[in-house]
Parts: sequence; structure tokens; C-alpha cells
Amino acid sequence: MSTRTTTKLEGVTFRALITLVFAFLLLPVLIVVLTSFTQQNFPAIPQEGVSLKWYQELLADQRLLNALTVSLIVSTVSAILSAIIGTIAAIGFVRGEFPYKEQISTVMLLPMIISPVITGIALVRYFSTIQLPSGFPALILGHTVLSLPYVFLLVRSELLTYDRDLERASRVLGADPATTFRHVTGPIISPAILAGAFIAFVVSFGEFTATQFLISPGTSTVPVVIYTMLRTGLTPTINALSVVLIVVMLVLALSSRKLSST
Amino acid sequence: MLEVDSFTKYYGELCAVEDLSFRIEEGEFVTLLGPSGCGKSTTLHAIAGLVEPTDGRIRLRGTDVTDLPPEKRNIGMAFQSTALFPHMTVRENIAYGLKMHGYSAADVEDRVEESLELVDMPDHGDHKPGELSGGQQQRVSLARSLAYEPDILLLDEPLTGLDRVLREEMRGWLNRIQREVNVTTLYVTHDQEDALSMSDTVVVLNDGQAQQIDSPERIYESPANPFVAEFVGKSTQFTGTVTHENGQAVVYNDEKRITLPDSSIDDDQSVSLYVRPEDIEVSPEPMGAENEFRGIITDIANLGNRAELSATLEDGSTALAHTTRFPDIDVDDDIFLRFPAERVIVL
Amino acid sequence: MSVQRGGLGRVTHIIGEGLEGRIANRHLALFGLGFVGLFFVLPILLLIPESLNLGSTTPFESYRRVANGIYVDAFVRSFLYGFVTTVVTLALAYMLSYFLAFSTERVRTAMILIIVPLWIAYIVRYFGILLFLSPAGPLADLTGFETDLLFTTPAVIIGLANVYLPFAVLPIYNSLNAIDEELVNASRVLGAGKWRTITKVIFPLSLPGLVAAGLIVFILAAGSFLGPAVLGGPNQTMIANVIAQAFLDNFNIQFASALAIVYTVLLVGLLLVFNTLFDLQEVLGNI
Repeated sequence: MSTRTTTKLEGVTFRALITLVFAFLLLPVLIVVLTSFTQQNFPAIPQEGVSLKWYQELLADQRLLNALTVSLIVSTVSAILSAIIGTIAAIGFVRGEFPYKEQISTVMLLPMIISPVITGIALVRYFSTIQLPSGFPALILGHTVLSLPYVFLLVRSELLTYDRDLERASRVLGADPATTFRHVTGPIISPAILAGAFIAFVVSFGEFTATQFLISPGTSTVPVVIYTMLRTGLTPTINALSVVLIVVMLVLALSSRKLSST
Repeated sequence: MLEVDSFTKYYGELCAVEDLSFRIEEGEFVTLLGPSGCGKSTTLHAIAGLVEPTDGRIRLRGTDVTDLPPEKRNIGMAFQSTALFPHMTVRENIAYGLKMHGYSAADVEDRVEESLELVDMPDHGDHKPGELSGGQQQRVSLARSLAYEPDILLLDEPLTGLDRVLREEMRGWLNRIQREVNVTTLYVTHDQEDALSMSDTVVVLNDGQAQQIDSPERIYESPANPFVAEFVGKSTQFTGTVTHENGQAVVYNDEKRITLPDSSIDDDQSVSLYVRPEDIEVSPEPMGAENEFRGIITDIANLGNRAELSATLEDGSTALAHTTRFPDIDVDDDIFLRFPAERVIVL
Repeated sequence: MSVQRGGLGRVTHIIGEGLEGRIANRHLALFGLGFVGLFFVLPILLLIPESLNLGSTTPFESYRRVANGIYVDAFVRSFLYGFVTTVVTLALAYMLSYFLAFSTERVRTAMILIIVPLWIAYIVRYFGILLFLSPAGPLADLTGFETDLLFTTPAVIIGLANVYLPFAVLPIYNSLNAIDEELVNASRVLGAGKWRTITKVIFPLSLPGLVAAGLIVFILAAGSFLGPAVLGGPNQTMIANVIAQAFLDNFNIQFASALAIVYTVLLVGLLLVFNTLFDLQEVLGNI
């Protein structure tokens, strides 16, 4: 009887704790979203009705719209590049045979391990040495490197579970290697590649720390603009911009998840 | 038709197949039988062009294909994993090989339908492989590999994943299809029942070397060496040295005399003797004949249509015998076992 | 058949050849390595000459400056905050993972809720915590409950733990989920109580995931820039902030490079020590 009560009590306590942890994890994001609909001049939780005026403000602000465009361009191009390079590298590391393969493959993951501040200053110095213009070229190349590990990991794990008999079957059925890749291997691993590209987009779209070194006047990205605005004072425009960022990132991330689970 | 000539394959230092040679005649059904890791899959992959031989040649219809890539060999192959393309329908899977072999669109369509008929699945053309059962997938896989009339059909353990009942059904079905299309077939398996029940010729492989190439009957009844005798079928085993008594060759196994079928064998030779369980007669009373042993029943396995008895003989060795189903004997009973001299396999 | 036209055809042709071995697969791996080498490893290595005052009589001047009190403080703070964040995060992550692995209800939804924050930019999440803790913020506004945590060390730790929590849940959950339920049942049948089962069976079996999670969180937290920048004050400056400041505000590239190199060397050193306690390769395999 007594053990039963303690178990029940334990269960309730545990459940309460879990709820608290979930609240801790999710409330901050929720507050950002909620307060973007305020009618007041500072981020407050709407109590007497919601307003979209901060979103209208956003649409009227050329600087913010420009940042959004820059972010979309940089993230799209770097996601495509990192999907291509990451896929090629993943094929090489899964299919190739060479000594210390596992150890060497950690090099591919370095960009997600080294502190992005260090990556940022290293890249900006290097790009100026090789005379790569700052702004778009630097941002795109930098974001490609930073998002590459994510594509690499995703495509690699897909290839590791890929049944190579499918390729053998295709060859025996009369298809040469290129045709086999186009009709069999490509279509089967392409959802993983696309999922990788989406995640690369998400990583790039939210990147701030290294990005602050790579921008040039006129090519600020959304996170950089948010950071700058945060330093100058809290206005609900930041919230509206953050919500746009959240929506874009979540839509892509959810599509990526859907792709990689099919 | 197919000629494998001193095929040798090394993986680094490791030898997978050593100097293997055999040939297959037109329309023949040949099985490569052996335990896992014996080199049978390597051989099959080499014939398909998926593995490059370290040494030796492979000839198909008189042409040396050793250096040709798989897509230039006109071979059909079914895999244990079925290897059906998951993103294509059954119809598209079958059409794939036809298109790659340059059939016209109209021919492709006709042949896909014929192939579906052949494997009794005319209504499944629009299904994805994932929607089919294991047996159905194997049938589609077979249809796909036969559609473009390959010179030879290679089957890589296609029945391994299936349960016992389906497996037996598929054996008969596979044999029927093979006869119907009259395609030369090379079948790879580790299952001796597959090999014995389906093939014209069996190649027994072990450690990358051919142990015996023969008809199923001869493989079972006249195995070439102890490996084949022990790998194919069950048996009771004795060892001893040959002597002659009254012109007959005999072996003494712990005081017990075993008469051998053939008296021409030389004296003082160490031999292994094998007796198949169906050749052993069991009786609760002594029969007073030659090659009779006394033993105690240790196990009775009722297999439905017959029973398999295990008995410990006086010298401590184990004997296996078949009796009619549900015999009137219990474990720990004393019994007498007898086998005719002409059924003893001497190696 | 091998006549290729468009660019995509060319790419598939090259990859197809790669799959066959005419272009060996290791060349594809080399291509990826080359890209990372050229645009990541090399730039990082070039920070070494950048950090030296070459051609002068005092080439290591910047390194002498690194030994100054305020910079040493920043290093110590980075590793200390990293460590505290790791402990807090692991405790929270273990609870969440345990719930996910052994609870029967709506695990998929809960998992999504944990992963969703991973897909939201750090800057937005730190902004959320800023609003959360802000004395004049929406929460204070709504509840009347004010904290004076903002711009203090606890605020930074809360922010870091919040942001890196999902990273810690994934490996721990995977290792808990891999535990055969039969083992747990066996332990209970053998007479161990719930807590003994957790401490003697479940916890030891989940240790690899826990160690992997700790490693990730520590590396990310110790190198964080945004956490202290958004939630901390002048006394919460971590190493990433000092590097950024030297580079962006003082244009002292040499000094920024020296700081980056010292930090990386210290971190690698820590990882090597870690490697003697746990097999790093094995830990990385758990990620």
C-alpha cells in the first residue's frame, strides 16, 4: 500500500518536473512569438487584442527587407553547394577504401566543432588574402563550409544503409554506372540529399557568430540585423523579424524531416 | 555454355576461391552448394562481372567475358535481398532490364505482361515492391531477370529469407519455370535440400575449392570425401583400419566388426565409414546378422512422416536411424541397429 | 549511351564513374577533404602566422598579452561556464530522455517539441530568454514577478543550458532507447527496486550517450559568443567575446589570432585528457 503511494507520488513529481523542463525549453521561443503581436511599443504579451502593426513595420523597413533577401540568397546558394559537395564527400567516404578512413572523416566534421568565432576570423582573413570579395562571395563560401558537416552526416548515414545489391542488379540488367546512378542510386538517395540541403539552409539562415565577420555594408543577414537591433533597444520589430526567421526555418526543417523519414 | 576456368579470387591476402573450374551445359540446372564463406557467392558475382577475378577465365557461349562489365554480359540474376528497385513499380522494375537491352517500347510492354503471366502475378504490375510479400518479391525478381532472355540465370540464395513451407513450394515452382523457359541456371545455396531437390548437377564448395561435382544422387550416395559426406545429409560415422577376413574387407571398430561393401580395398588403410540413417534398421531384439550394434536410445524426434532415433552405441559413439513414425520405443530402451554392408560409404 | 549533354548529366556521369571505380571513390572523398582543407583547415592554420609579430624582435608579443589577468579570466570563465552548463544541461537532458525512452505516451510529439528549438536560430532563442528574464519584460509585465538575473552569470548559464539542451537529449535518448527492455524487466524480476534498477542497470548502460552529450555541450558552451553577448554583462565576457572584440572593435588581428590559437590548443588539450578517460572515437560514434 505504502509503496504504491510513493510510486504514485514519484510519478506525479516526475511528471511535474518534465513539464517544467519542457516549459524551460519552449517558453522563450513562445514569448518571442506572442509578443510580436503586441499593440504596445515594447515586446509585451498581448492582453487586450492583437495587432499586426509590427509586421507592417517590417514590410516598410527597406533595411530589414534587404537583410531578408540577402539571407535567402546566401542560404539557398550555400545549401545547394553544400548539398553537392557533402554528397560527393559522403559517397567517397562510404564507398572508398583507404587507411584511417574513420579518423580522416572527422576532418569533415571540424566546421561544426571549432568555435564559430574562430572560424569567422580565420575565414575573413583568408578571404582577404585570396582576394575573395566580402559580402556575397564570402558569405556563401563561409556558410557552405559551416553547413557541410550536416549534409555529410545525413547522406552518409543514408548511404550506409543503402543496399548495394540494387546497383549490382541494375548493372546486371544492362545499365552502365552512369545510368545506374541516374535511375537507381540517385533517385533513392535524393530524399536524403534534399533533406541535407534543407538542413544546410536552416543552419545557414540562423548563423550569426561567424557571419558577423563576413558581411559587408549592404549584405547584413537577418540574424546580424536582429543582433544589432537588440543592442540598440527592444522594439517589437525584432519580434516580427524573429517570427519570420522562425517560420522559414521551421517550414524547411519540417520538410527535411518528412523527406528523410520516407 | 558457361565455362569457369581456374577461377581464383584473392581479397588482399585472403583467398576466397582457389583454382575453381566447372562447366554448365545448355539448359542445365547447376547448384553451387557450400557453407557460408566457402566462396560460392564470390564465384557467382565473378560470373556476373560484379567481382574481378584475380586469375582464371570465364567463358559464356564460347566468348571470353572475363573483362566485360556486367551490363555487357546478357546475364539474369536474382538476389537474396531481391534487389527490387523500391522507387519503381513491379512493371517498371521488369521494364528496366528490357529497356537497357534496347527493346522497343511496344516490345517492352508486351514482354512485361508475358513475364508477369509467367510468374503468376498478372495483377500486380502497378504495385510497389514494398507492398508485396517476400515470396511475391522473389517471383518479381525472377520475372525481371528472365524478361530479356538472358543466356544464363544466376540465383543467389533466393529462397533463404522464406519460411519452410513457402520455401518448399517455391522450389517446385522455380523448377517448373526453369523447365518452361529452358534457361541455363546456376543456383547458389547453403541449403542441401535446395541443392538435392532442384539440380541436375551439384558443385560442392568448401574453403574456396570444389570438393565434388556430380549429380545429386552421387553427391548423396557416393560422396567424394569426408567433407561432402558430412555436409550433405546426416550419417552415423565409424573409423578404423581395413583388414581382410575370409576374402572380405572388414574394419574393427572397438571389437565390433563392420563388413565393407567392396573387398578390393587394401589392408591397413585408415578409413572413415558413413551410414545414412535410412539405411539403418532398428529392432528391440538382436537380429543376429553382420554389422549389428547394440545401443541405448537417447532421443526420439518425431518428424511427422517418420521418426529419427539417436542412440549411443557400446563404444560411446552416436548413431542415427530412421524408423516409421511414432515408434513403439522409449528413450533409455535397449535396441539393436543393423545395416547392410553394401550401404556403407567408405572414404 | 555515354554521350552526355547538360551539366546535370555531366555530374551524374562523373558520380556514376566514381561508383564504378574509374574515378576511385577515394578521389571523391579527397574532393570533400580538399574543400574543407582549403576553405576551413588552411584558414585556421594560417591564424598561427597571423598571431606572430614576424620580423620584429618580439614575435610572441601577443602571447605575452594573452597571459594578462583579464584574458586569463576570460579563459577560466569559458571553461568554468562550459563545465557548469554541461552539468545543468545533462541533468535536464537525462530527465527528458528518460521520459522519452520509458514513457508510453505521445513520445513522437514530445520528441518534435525537443527538436524544434534546434531549428530556430540561436539569436532568436537568446532573445526569448532575454525577454523572459528582463525586469521590464513581458513575463514581469504579466505576472508582476521580477527577477534581477539579467546580465549576471546565472542568466548566461540559463541561456547556454536552454540553447544546448536538445543537443544533449539526442545521444542520451538514443543510448537509453537502445537498452533492451528485457534487461530492465530482468532486474525487476531479480528483486531490484525501481531506483536500484536505475542506478545499477539503466544508468551504467546509458553512460556512453551521457558522455557524448557532455562532450558536445561542453565544446559548444565554452566557445559560445551569443550567450554572454546577449545575456551577460561586462563581467560575463567569455573567450569568444574577447576574440571578437579584439578583431572587430580594436582591429587587432594579431592578438585575436593569438587568443584563438591559445583557446584551440587548450580545448584540444582538454580533449586529449578526456581521450585518456574515454575513447574519443567511441564517444563520437554515439553522436
